[in-house]
Amino acid sequence: MVFDVMFLRSCSLAVRRICSRAPVQTLLRSASTSQTTGRDEEEEKLDLDVWKAVMKTQALPENRSDPSPSPLDFHRELVEMWHQAGKLVPKSITDEQLQDLAALTTKSAKKKFLKFLAIKEAHKITKKEKRENKPRPERNTDGEERELRNTFLMKFWSGSMDRLLNWRVAQAMRFGQPLVYDMSYEQHMTRRELENAVSQLMETEGFNRRSSDPFHLHFCGLKPGGAFHREILKRYGAETWERMLITDTASQPADLFPREDLVYLTADSHTVLRKFDHRKVYVVGAIVDRSIQSGVSLANAKRLQLATARLPLDEHLNWDCGAKNLTLDQMIRILSTVKDTGSWKAALEFVPKRKHCGFHSMRTGKTQSVRNESTAPKNKTDGHKRVRERKTWWEEEG
Amino acid sequence: MGPLVSNSRTCMKHLCTWVVNPLYLRPALAGLPQHNMLAVRFIINPNTQLYSTKGDKQAELYSQVTKEKGFTPRTRPAFPKSVFAAGTAKKTAEYMKKRAGIDTEELSNNTPASGRGYLKVALPDHPLTTSEWAKLKEGSSKSERFEMQMMERLLSANADVNIAKSLLAYVVQDKGTLSYELLLRYLTLCVTAGHHSEVFDTYDIMRTCFKTLETGASSLFIKGFSQTERWREALGLLEGLKKALLPSARNYGDAITGAVLHGDIETGWKLYDELLEQGIESHQSTWQCLFQSGITQRGQEDKLFSVLSYMRDNQIYPEVLLIKTIKAWFESLPDQKWSGKFSCVAPSGECKTCKASLESIQLTEEEYAQLKDEVMKKVIEGSDIFNKTTPEELKCFKAFVKQRPPFDIVIDGLNVANTTPKATHSETLLAVVSELERQGLNILVLGRKHMLQPSRNWDRQNMNKIKQKSHCFFTENMSEDDPFLLYAALHSGVHCNFLSRDLMRDHKACLPDRATRRLFFKWQRGHQLVISNYAPGKRVRFQRISAYDTIVQTAGSSWHIPYDENGDRATYEVPQKWLCLTQEH
Repeated sequence: MVFDVMFLRSCSLAVRRICSRAPVQTLLRSASTSQTTGRDEEEEKLDLDVWKAVMKTQALPENRSDPSPSPLDFHRELVEMWHQAGKLVPKSITDEQLQDLAALTTKSAKKKFLKFLAIKEAHKITKKEKRENKPRPERNTDGEERELRNTFLMKFWSGSMDRLLNWRVAQAMRFGQPLVYDMSYEQHMTRRELENAVSQLMETEGFNRRSSDPFHLHFCGLKPGGAFHREILKRYGAETWERMLITDTASQPADLFPREDLVYLTADSHTVLRKFDHRKVYVVGAIVDRSIQSGVSLANAKRLQLATARLPLDEHLNWDCGAKNLTLDQMIRILSTVKDTGSWKAALEFVPKRKHCGFHSMRTGKTQSVRNESTAPKNKTDGHKRVRERKTWWEEEG
Repeated sequence: MGPLVSNSRTCMKHLCTWVVNPLYLRPALAGLPQHNMLAVRFIINPNTQLYSTKGDKQAELYSQVTKEKGFTPRTRPAFPKSVFAAGTAKKTAEYMKKRAGIDTEELSNNTPASGRGYLKVALPDHPLTTSEWAKLKEGSSKSERFEMQMMERLLSANADVNIAKSLLAYVVQDKGTLSYELLLRYLTLCVTAGHHSEVFDTYDIMRTCFKTLETGASSLFIKGFSQTERWREALGLLEGLKKALLPSARNYGDAITGAVLHGDIETGWKLYDELLEQGIESHQSTWQCLFQSGITQRGQEDKLFSVLSYMRDNQIYPEVLLIKTIKAWFESLPDQKWSGKFSCVAPSGECKTCKASLESIQLTEEEYAQLKDEVMKKVIEGSDIFNKTTPEELKCFKAFVKQRPPFDIVIDGLNVANTTPKATHSETLLAVVSELERQGLNILVLGRKHMLQPSRNWDRQNMNKIKQKSHCFFTENMSEDDPFLLYAALHSGVHCNFLSRDLMRDHKACLPDRATRRLFFKWQRGHQLVISNYAPGKRVRFQRISAYDTIVQTAGSSWHIPYDENGDRATYEVPQKWLCLTQEH
């Protein structure tokens, strides 16, 4: 007992004297090890409540400085304590984010938002670590020794590439096939979905610019000053957006093009796009739909009285799981490839692999493909297995 | 007998693959046993080939039906009473699983024993000294979260609290402090095992060492304190919780339990009222606790009766433990001589014990009008009328309904036509329509326009006969037919029923609030007919519509309370068991 009191006193002193924890640890270590070596095994008594005494010495000073804490402070404390409790919340949170958090009404919404922030934060940290760990290229050493080589071409800078690509897109703006993105779904999307939609649109534009025969992109129904427009300006920057080689307009696709030329692409459509038509104007709805609102774009097409079509996914792929709606950038990859090559097989390579288990084999033909659809596995997990099973069965019987 | 017979299940699985290519049919036919002949006849029948020329939704629908209903007519389970009876969904699901085969069971069985960061060292069975813990830690592979994982394992193994304490003692010597997370785990262990003094000590420590307590610790303290003399402090913690978040039903429940256990009934009811104000639904254990206190302490009768009427209004059914407490409470009421019996209700709506008849399932005039209005506004029109139909079509349909006399029965043509794979669609539909016409009913058949195009499944003559026997309305192929069905049935009046296997859950979800959804469900239970076990050529029979409402109800001197026997009731089902309480005079 004497030892315990001594030990406690020493450690409380240590805590008081030095606030950081590392020195305390070494102190405690040395004390305990010296004591155990000095004593017999039997005398090493178990004191189960020693932690209580130690923790009591670490009590926070009683200064409730804030006399009138606001709801924001409660939320800050909540996040801080949840972090200490090992929940998936960010380590640091800005005031703006806190306001967003306080505006959410339900507990589950708050938890989800914090989880989102925590994951974002973790990505940021790992990225930073990677950047720091990367060895820096040494530049200054070989500057003098390097002799000028006799080259056929000057270095091909990315700026030259940009000029080339821009030339092509400018060509497309005069002579290319139009591809319309219908931007009239602002009110159907949450903030997160809208941000994702803009990311996908940027990806779309980038792919189009790089392709050998670009589309002439139209952003139709883009309300100036609307949420979509604001987010786009934020991401591109106003100046870059002005120089972008795409057509953006507030009018509807039916105002720009003859109605009979327009085909609205939507996964809910009953007709299948069997062949890509170079004279048609395809319309893609710029919507990211995380919640369940089925048939929104089909309803829109019905209202505008446009023809609709869906991609021939079931006709070519053994669909496994996941929704048939694809992201906007996947859509342009598919459309651009099928435009250039005319082959659905090449185009549908851009459908995410996790959603299907391979193409229908070529020899089975058309009727077979319908049948395969009907016997396609309902159980998502053993989709691959069943396909294999069926093949062996064919071989046995045939 | 060929090799296929011995393995008849796989044979079934591949039957549909034969249909397309007759090449594979021939060798297999020779070896098929007698009891499969039915299935084979169906397959050879050219009228029922599985692919359609268009390969569109129709084929998809068909394949679904064959998958669910096809090929094994003998073993198909007869549904007990109605599709809304408790446990039907579970039975069907189990049956489907059994048919799907063994592979699903295999999947569920081989769950890995070790999760992420599983510690290989054995769990100690007595408190260890510091050095022993250090040794143990060295032996484990992942040492950075050693104490956390050890504490979790102690918790899940329900270990002695002293072992956990020795672990804390070790950690505090090793690191100089204890993390909030570790203390939280320790607290969980103390609360679940009921070590009250430890809870108090931990409370004092956590209070002083950390700025605030978060929701997890607060909840645990509320639970821990409510069982002790310091239960009033739980109320303070509950207040603290409210600052950033809404307390959960569990938090309130624990606080109420604490108050009631210590005889402060008033505080208990005050908290309960607060809970209701927040719009949270109480846990059953909270009610049980309140009824329990009603047995020992008089003067709460009004409040407890209001709980019963809350259950009635919100269509809540007590579980077994609660219903037993309710029964005991009724029987303990002095001078009223209640006697309770667990009973069933006959299909006619008569309680089998006391012979009293239960409330009818019919809606009142106002409720009916309200439901009709809501279905029109929310289900058909919704936020965008183009989602389900077009304005022209809706106008056309309204005019159509107005011109005709009220219908007695509205049929979901496509759903009914898909009842059995053993006959073509139009044949099945014709059989059903003829049967209903024989009963002298005024029929409306709803369908889509593609049904009018003659094809294998939609024979022109059959369709003409159907048109003669009934009124028909065909929507666009792109439109939904169910909302029209609901509207037509509601428009025709109280006597009108509808025929469909669809449980209409997606349409119920379109309704704005829970009250309307309950109204819809009540109407659905009272008006939906479902075809039971139909085979072509046989008489069409329908499943029973319940005549009484399954809800908590009273008639002054008697109470009837439905309750959940075991937890396998789906949300769209109602319980079959009742508690019958009668007063002796």
